[in-house]
Amino acid sequence: MKSFSKPTRRTFLKTSTAAAAFIGFGPAILRHARAQDASLGAYQSAKINWRQAEGETITVAVIPASYFENLISLEAQFKALTGIDVRFEKVPPAQIRQKSVIDLTSKTATYATSATDPMYYSLYAANKWVDQLDTYLNDASLTDKNWFNYEDIFPAWRGANSVDGKLYGMPYDGEVTIQVYRKDLYEAKGIKAADTLEDYMKNAAAVHAPDNRVWGAALRGVAGAGQNMYIYPSLFREFGGEWFKGGKLTVNGPEAEAALAYYVDLMRKYAPNAASNWNWPDIADAFSQGTLGSYIDAHSSASVVNNPEKSKVIGKIAYARWPKGPSGKRVSSIWNWGFPINAALSEKKKKATWLFIQWAASAETQARTAHKFAGPTKRSGANRESVWKDAEYVKLLNGFGDNFVQVSMEALQSDTDVDWRPRVPQWPAIGDTMATAIQSALSGQNTVKAALDDAQKRIEPMMRG
Amino acid sequence: MLAGENTMTAGPAEIASSDFGRVLVQRERRFATLLLAPAFFALLLTTTFPLLFLVYTSVYRINLSMPFMNGFVGLENYKVLLADDRFWHSLIVSLVYTISTVLLQIVIGLALALFVMNMKRGQGWFRIIAILPVVLSPAVVGMIWRTFMLAPEFGIVDYLAITAGLGSKNWLGDPSLAMVSVIVIHTWQWTPFAFMVLLASLASLPEDIYEAARIDRASAWQRFRRITLPLLRPAIVMVIIMRTMVALTAFAAIFTVTGGGPGTATEILNLYAYRKSFTELSIGYGSALAVALLIVTIIISAILFAIRRSK
Repeated sequence: MKSFSKPTRRTFLKTSTAAAAFIGFGPAILRHARAQDASLGAYQSAKINWRQAEGETITVAVIPASYFENLISLEAQFKALTGIDVRFEKVPPAQIRQKSVIDLTSKTATYATSATDPMYYSLYAANKWVDQLDTYLNDASLTDKNWFNYEDIFPAWRGANSVDGKLYGMPYDGEVTIQVYRKDLYEAKGIKAADTLEDYMKNAAAVHAPDNRVWGAALRGVAGAGQNMYIYPSLFREFGGEWFKGGKLTVNGPEAEAALAYYVDLMRKYAPNAASNWNWPDIADAFSQGTLGSYIDAHSSASVVNNPEKSKVIGKIAYARWPKGPSGKRVSSIWNWGFPINAALSEKKKKATWLFIQWAASAETQARTAHKFAGPTKRSGANRESVWKDAEYVKLLNGFGDNFVQVSMEALQSDTDVDWRPRVPQWPAIGDTMATAIQSALSGQNTVKAALDDAQKRIEPMMRG
Repeated sequence: MLAGENTMTAGPAEIASSDFGRVLVQRERRFATLLLAPAFFALLLTTTFPLLFLVYTSVYRINLSMPFMNGFVGLENYKVLLADDRFWHSLIVSLVYTISTVLLQIVIGLALALFVMNMKRGQGWFRIIAILPVVLSPAVVGMIWRTFMLAPEFGIVDYLAITAGLGSKNWLGDPSLAMVSVIVIHTWQWTPFAFMVLLASLASLPEDIYEAARIDRASAWQRFRRITLPLLRPAIVMVIIMRTMVALTAFAAIFTVTGGGPGTATEILNLYAYRKSFTELSIGYGSALAVALLIVTIIISAILFAIRRSK
């Protein structure tokens, strides 16, 4: 109706191209249309009524990242399947947490669901802002358990999105941190991927040649609960740190000092000056320009360093798991963007939201946004083991460099656990305090010990309440 | 009878006329109130009410991460505030930031104004170019400086530093350099304001006093000290007051350039209140910090206004 009364340039282009295409390739279009129909069959084999919330409109907040862009591009399929309109709102990662919290506290129900940081579920659950998803999973009218196959989703991510054993957010896309290094530089020096943190420092020293514009290594330097406090927890745990020593949240002490000292040392000696303000995209950019010997960050950054338009190091990249710490452990991150259901929604909207979540997290949609995706950027963070075992997906990902799939899978299965960071409702405050402490040590505003002791002093009253 | 009739007719008319005047005035007043009401209510709703609400929330414990503990706590938040190192630190950062930026703006702005006053040609162009930073949004200015000017190796400032033999500096990663950087950025953006105001008042100074001074063989420095400065005093004080209030409540540029970092090196009070409220989700305590900032701003402005009136 709207497009008839107000023909915009876009709709004009759309209809005219469609018409032209139809005249030229009529039969092909028809075949394609049939293929589209059949393609809904994969969903329609589920024994639920997909159209039970027909006519509803829901708003979904996501971050502007390719793994969500791919999902957004399939929105028409979802609409055809369920009759539900989905409006996507793209919010940068730094703001999406605040915007969601503000929406949830004020109970405006603006977002039916939003891409959620797993560290926030304790907070959401404590305030009863979101629904337990088990209810929806166990409702036979809403979920076909055999079809959806919830157990296929990685247990680590399901665990990360659960509080007291109850699921609050459905994992959609996730990542683990791994070592990324330049095999050509390493080979030239006769070194291998680091097996221990000590080796990692030595490797960085070996390839460090700032006069030739190659720096040894870099880690995230910019302050933020999801930035430097996304890398430091692995070091802390590898040095033998425990967040809850004797039931009390402890962020200082000898293990913490050793871990932070290692971080500061590596960054000051072998990272570019500017890295103290870098987040992962900056690190990946520097690496793809050939100025970094190695970095430890999310496996999903592989798609950036393999971007044929920007990267100068394609074919020279290899991967390895985190180096072991003095405790003998390798500790990777635990991370996924999940979808919770806003508790302030009406019953019907909740159903619509659940159908959307079920659709997005299903094996079929995961495959269609990854190796079966038509566009140039494929996902590397599919949420299911079955997808990761799909030969096509493995082939796609191994194009990113040596050992990519094996390393990511091993890291995901054996190097991480849900207590990687302290999972408490106070996390936003704790994460920010730690991030500030780490940065103040890195910049020399404080000594390592003073920074951590100060953080401990600030965190104690937060936990006491 | 006739006279009576006259008085009868004149009487009510007289009464009516004075009454009419009163009614008119009353009506006028009512109409004026009616006209004023929407704006007044809008103002009440958008400024006064939030302000009172801020004070109200500051005596409550409102912590989103521990909702079960929320409740009235009286002056507890303020007690905690007075013992909070980071509050005092951020207050000092705020004061250093304010004093240095305002001083720099006045000195540079005045120098520029004196220079431009003597320009024979191109004054108009200079004024237009000078005003450009002021019309930019502080957030945009922050982004420009962060990426274009201060980025190590690629930024213009760093390039100049390397060329000058100072070597590449980590402008935003070093605590004291970061402080210098945010002060420079604020000064860069707002000096044109001081410059424009001072230029306007310089232009309005009476020429005859200067002529008399020249006849008395007063030196340029004497003329500046004894004539220009005293005559410009009201304008300078006004600029100081306005710039101080803005500098105390600055936010966007620092937020985008350093986010208060590295560590807490550039964390002004405003930023600390924001982080407490919206990142740490401790709304009650965050409100107390905002009220503290309000009190500081009021006290400083009161002092400045008193100085303005004193002479």
